[in-house]
Amino acid sequence: MIVPFSHVLMLAGILFLLGMFCAVARRNLIMIVLGVEIMLNAASIAFVGASVRWQSLEGQSFVLFILAVAATEVSVGLAIIVYAFRRTGSFDPGAYNILR
Amino acid sequence: MTIFWTEDATLLAAILATLLPFVSFVLIMVLTRARPRLSAGLSIVAVTVSLGCALFLLVRHWNLQRPIQYTGRWLASTSVEIPFGFLLDPVSLLMLVVVAGICFLVQVYSLGYMAGDYGFSRYYAFMSLFAWAMLNLTLSPTILQLYIFWELVGLSSYLLIGFWYEKFSATQAGKKAFVMTRAGDVAFFLGLLTVLVHLGNFNILEMNGPQAVAHMSPAILTLSALLVFGGIVGKSAQFPLMTWLPDAMEGPTPVSALLHSATMVAAGVYLFARLFPFFSLSPTAMTVFLAIGTISMLLASTMAMVDRDIKKVWAYSTISQLGFMIMALAAGGYFAGAFHLTTHAGFKALLFLCSGLFIHCHGTNDIYELANHQCRRQRIPTICLLIAAAALSGLPPLSGFFSKEAIMAALAGLSNPVWLAAGLLGVFMTAYYAFRVIFVISFPKPPAKGSESRPDSSASGHDGSHLPPEYCVMAWPLIILALITVLLGFFESPLKHFLVGRLIAGEAHESGALALVPYLALALSVAGVGLAWIEFGRRGAARVGFVERIPPLHKLFAERWYIDDFYRLFVDRVIDRGISTLFYENDNKVIDGGIDGMCKGTVEGGRIVALLNSGMIQYRLLVTFAVMVLLSLYFFF
Repeated sequence: MIVPFSHVLMLAGILFLLGMFCAVARRNLIMIVLGVEIMLNAASIAFVGASVRWQSLEGQSFVLFILAVAATEVSVGLAIIVYAFRRTGSFDPGAYNILR
Repeated sequence: MTIFWTEDATLLAAILATLLPFVSFVLIMVLTRARPRLSAGLSIVAVTVSLGCALFLLVRHWNLQRPIQYTGRWLASTSVEIPFGFLLDPVSLLMLVVVAGICFLVQVYSLGYMAGDYGFSRYYAFMSLFAWAMLNLTLSPTILQLYIFWELVGLSSYLLIGFWYEKFSATQAGKKAFVMTRAGDVAFFLGLLTVLVHLGNFNILEMNGPQAVAHMSPAILTLSALLVFGGIVGKSAQFPLMTWLPDAMEGPTPVSALLHSATMVAAGVYLFARLFPFFSLSPTAMTVFLAIGTISMLLASTMAMVDRDIKKVWAYSTISQLGFMIMALAAGGYFAGAFHLTTHAGFKALLFLCSGLFIHCHGTNDIYELANHQCRRQRIPTICLLIAAAALSGLPPLSGFFSKEAIMAALAGLSNPVWLAAGLLGVFMTAYYAFRVIFVISFPKPPAKGSESRPDSSASGHDGSHLPPEYCVMAWPLIILALITVLLGFFESPLKHFLVGRLIAGEAHESGALALVPYLALALSVAGVGLAWIEFGRRGAARVGFVERIPPLHKLFAERWYIDDFYRLFVDRVIDRGISTLFYENDNKVIDGGIDGMCKGTVEGGRIVALLNSGMIQYRLLVTFAVMVLLSLYFFF
């Protein structure tokens, strides 16, 4: 393995933090979903790195599952966002306080 | 103690004597309320059997060597065991007979007095309840059982005083009697608890025995004696709590007779006699009792000197006679107190029943009006009243003379002559007020106001000649009681032997100047009668008492020394405006405010928490991440 495992983990951690920041701080629903996707991908990188590190296929299979879940999540999430935009006319999560 | 109860005649008699009135009470209330005659019959049969059993017990145990006690376990806690049963000793046997006897006579008398009253059955039911409570009180082996029946006596007297409940004053009087005796009973109960805490049980024999000294320090003894005496003060209408008794005259007259002679007020003195050895352990307490007895005796005598209501005069005289008994007991004259209790039961019942007959026939309580009604034409009650009043004043051949001399002897035995002087003054006043009533009643106003009283006298002549048909029923108890009053005094020495034969070996005989005390007392009571004769009796008498010549004094006595006004003021100012206001404020501000504050706090807290839940999913996400980070920090490092 050319790239050391610690570098892979560091990359995954940085990506995860970026995704977290994106999900928490951005005031746009689409950007929040994007942040969640980034966090999922960070986890996937960590899995792939681990599977290479220990020469085992389980990590890669987890990544396949994560990709599938991410795809469905994006489709459902975008559908909800479109519907919410139609209801309120805004992407701001602060506007969705009808149930409050 | 395992005794097969049917074989033991004593126990059987005790059970019968104390249970039957209750049975009759229940039967009357449940079954026969609609049939007055049957109810009265039931009640009288029950009380007759009780009287028979009581007499049987007295005769059988005339030479009682030591108290007999039958108990069964009633309540057991870890360290305390409270039995229930009977304790037969001389005092209780004597009192049992007195109570049963007076109850019997009063119930027979009530057949006439209450005839036609629509509450006839109810009346007899309450009378039975009263008799039951008092009979059980006399035989209680523990002070707790005594307390229970003590309260029942209070309850039934409340029911009977307020018997004519449509009359506002009657219900008020009943309430007053109940509340004022309760005030004393609270102290009594605290005293009970003190005894329980320090002695470990309620047993009367143990309280009277050496265990009391062994387990209780002198201070505690004094405290508990004073507290228990609080109950006596309430029940026997002594000084601070005396004003309920005159108001209790609102009840039917036979009830007053019962209340005053044998049941309600006598219970207090009886308790004193019952716990006499216990009380005498504390000299301080005994001095306080002596003072209270003296004060109430003198106060009540002065009140009796001015009242015009015949029943109220006797009510005051009851207070003062009870004061005498308490003085005697507190002075160490155990026999004197108990004996006066017995004789007083006889002649006070007689006084009330005679007055009741007059009131029944003429419909008024006022002695001057009774005189105008020529009530002296009714020979039997007049003569009986005379006998009773003479006994009350302590004139020689009658029972009151003997017991009063015994009391004076007990007082003379004290080192401080003040008590004796007060007692002698009391004797004088007693004779004066008793014969004031007698003279006023038996010598109607001379015809100075003849033109006014003419229609009265003709009407009363009409009344006098046509006596009510129930007159005979009512007269017989009077005659029996009069006989008792006349004869009881001659049984002084056997009774003394019976009561104190074992308790005290022999009393020190007074000598020297103290031997004159009986003559002095007699002379004073004769002087009292004489003064009454001069002022009310003789031809052309002014019919104005010496007290009435001094208006402020008269007002003071007639207003009962303003004790009632003081209470009213006290209740109004201190309780209504002071303590109640405080409680009201406490309720409003502290309790309500506290609860309101809690509610408001909850609401405000909800608001604050709701701010977090403002629909901002990102906050939640943030919180989730923060928690995750913190948890991972916690788990991994």
